Amino acid sequence: MKIGIYFCNCGSNIADKISSAAVSEATSSFPDQPYVVTVDFICSEDGKAQFEESLRMEQPDRVVVAACSPRDHESTFRRCMTNAGLNPYLMQMVNIREQIAWVTEDPTVATEKAITAIRGAVCRVRLQQPLEKKELEVCPDALVIGAGPAGMKAAMSLAEAGRSVVLVERTPVIGGLPVRFEELFPALECAPCMLEPLMGDLLHSDHAEKIELLTMSEVIEVTGFYGNFIVKIRQAPRHVSLHECIGCGECTAVCPATMKNVFNSDASERKAIDFAYAGALPNAPYLVEEVCVRSQGEECRACKDACPMGEDVVDLDQAAEVVERRVGSIILATGSKLYDASQVIGMGMNTLPDVYDAMQLERMLSSTGPTGGEILTSNSNAPLSVAIIHCVGSLDAEHKPYCSGICCQYAFKFNHLISARLPDTTITHYHRELVTPGKEAFTLFNHAVGNKNSTLKRYDNIRDLSVTQGKDNRLRVSAKGEAIAADMVVLCPAVIPADGAEQLSTLLDVSRDSFGFFRELHGRMDAAQSTLKGVYLAGACQEPMDVRSAILQGMATAGYALSSLQPGLTIEIEPINAEVDEARCAGCRLCISVCPYRAITFDGEHRISKINAVLCHGCGTCVVACPARAITGHHFTNDQIMAEIEGVLK
Amino acid sequence: MTGQSVQGVFEPKIIGFLCNWCSYAGADKAGGMQAPYPPNVQVIRVMCSGRVDPQFVLSAFERGADGVIILACHPGDCHYKEGNCRALQRHSMLNLMLEQLGIEKDRCRLDYVSAGEGEKFHRVIGEVVDTVRTLGPLQLTQENRE
Repeated sequence: MKIGIYFCNCGSNIADKISSAAVSEATSSFPDQPYVVTVDFICSEDGKAQFEESLRMEQPDRVVVAACSPRDHESTFRRCMTNAGLNPYLMQMVNIREQIAWVTEDPTVATEKAITAIRGAVCRVRLQQPLEKKELEVCPDALVIGAGPAGMKAAMSLAEAGRSVVLVERTPVIGGLPVRFEELFPALECAPCMLEPLMGDLLHSDHAEKIELLTMSEVIEVTGFYGNFIVKIRQAPRHVSLHECIGCGECTAVCPATMKNVFNSDASERKAIDFAYAGALPNAPYLVEEVCVRSQGEECRACKDACPMGEDVVDLDQAAEVVERRVGSIILATGSKLYDASQVIGMGMNTLPDVYDAMQLERMLSSTGPTGGEILTSNSNAPLSVAIIHCVGSLDAEHKPYCSGICCQYAFKFNHLISARLPDTTITHYHRELVTPGKEAFTLFNHAVGNKNSTLKRYDNIRDLSVTQGKDNRLRVSAKGEAIAADMVVLCPAVIPADGAEQLSTLLDVSRDSFGFFRELHGRMDAAQSTLKGVYLAGACQEPMDVRSAILQGMATAGYALSSLQPGLTIEIEPINAEVDEARCAGCRLCISVCPYRAITFDGEHRISKINAVLCHGCGTCVVACPARAITGHHFTNDQIMAEIEGVLK
Repeated sequence: MTGQSVQGVFEPKIIGFLCNWCSYAGADKAGGMQAPYPPNVQVIRVMCSGRVDPQFVLSAFERGADGVIILACHPGDCHYKEGNCRALQRHSMLNLMLEQLGIEKDRCRLDYVSAGEGEKFHRVIGEVVDTVRTLGPLQLTQENRE
């Protein structure tokens, strides 16, 4: 075997400490007696040209480059190998600059250490194998789960770039939580007005045909991997055709059955066939089967008969449907919800009248809500005193140790909205910490501080606070002996992941953190990527966040999906990965338990493990774990590493 | 590799398994500082400390190493999420095996060096060389060698 050693002087960086002449002399005792070429700066344009020319002339079987760190230039010299017609994986680098010349005082000792390291590399490179990058065809389309601000923005951005998008939403409506709010912090913009253009584009723009919106739907099965996911989606019957309904509400008017409306936090009633709330999009009602009188055996078809658009719009017999779609990437945008404030002892949630959580107050403030936007106690009076308790379950080791990030801002928004509508009402904020980050949040905070009717009181521990009902039937908020009377108490509970995140994490094998939010690939560098390749995280399913951050993260996920999977292009699969020798695999599945990327699956029919090269990151931990030594870690094989160990110990 | 220096001080042979992402980068960072450290450690680069097979360590001792150091990313920082946890588990197991073979457990150290910790790398290498030098040359019985 012909082996070439290319020794870089790196000017004086290496040459001052390591003698290339001594290296040349020593190599005569190395296996296969390699030839040695000394280059001054092998990474320079001249150096690379000299290297490539020499490779073409010598046609070595294997190459060792003794120079700087492979972290600097391994890819450079692999390209030189390719340019010279050699397989790039037949080259091994020795780091004689950072790890020898620069850190060894005595040139004789440095030269000796370099000779040893180069001998290790020569022994190793003899066993290296030519490897080829494989290419795989991929589907550029995406699945977006959740049609809140983050999911809508992601879907719209992808559609604008010409990608087909399947947008799956659990509820009958799009817009997520904020679309149900009247006004948003920090600028008190009308939330439905702000989101309307995005929702309108999603439903009706030129790009809308690229988006397949499936409401009342849930993902029930995911197979495949990055670039080639097959997804099964179960669509519950809406009983109203989204395409044909004109949203006139004739069916609702005649429906005999009523129920509490979950979209108004159960504070108002709706018909069995009804809109989620006034102005909800898509503008079509949905029928709740369990409440429809037909479920009690009655032969009612009032809604169907009332529809002016004909027989086909309301389908009383519609059944659930399972559809299958192929996508290349998946964007999780399942959002957040509020922690159940009744879990925090002493707050009176669900036990005392006029204790509301923030979502209930948002709906009360909304003109489409249960009171038409009026702030009313359960006795239908305007409250004279309102207490707003921040950090209910946040920053609390017994509940959620993290700060939920958005609560202070919406609490001061409440202050503004309440004082605008009820100028004489006093407002008392009980807060543990105050968080108003960024360049805009301070305005609402300043307003609250400047409001002569409002007081901010700080507490150390929520256990020092209690909400009770006094003899006068008014609420009392006590904090370490000091008490105020209140007619309404508003709780700002911790923000937690929305329902469904747990199920999706199981379906997709993406991990969640200890709070139940989807875990990012990296908290700072890759906060919009999940731990599974091709699955991205948008919005508050990753951590509590406001609308702005959710929209931005939605865009970020679209960016990942657009740049990684492009129509007509294939994805390259790195050849430094692991492979199972099927003949040796005993089917113990130990490898599956150690793989951090879920890249290994079990083939039940043949009772062997199989590694998906697309998902494998080449860490090699399964190679070590395999008791049958059936797994090869390409380019870092046992034999190669053992040869290097032997080489440096000779 | 160096066996006995001219002054008669024992110069141990040590194999260092460094993960590509943190500790190898930390070693490069130490190089950038250009502060000399003892030359006794020969580095074997692996992608992840989870790739370090206990067999590699045993073979290194069998073939003449007096010490082995495995350097990993800090817990929670592993480029491959949890390869360093595997390295830790395997190191604990190795300690038991080494004890049975009559090899002092201090001859096989596991530590954590991040990509930015050039100074820590420098210090750890100094320490491991001192430790193994104090222990003296590894003497394996023929029985244990087999």
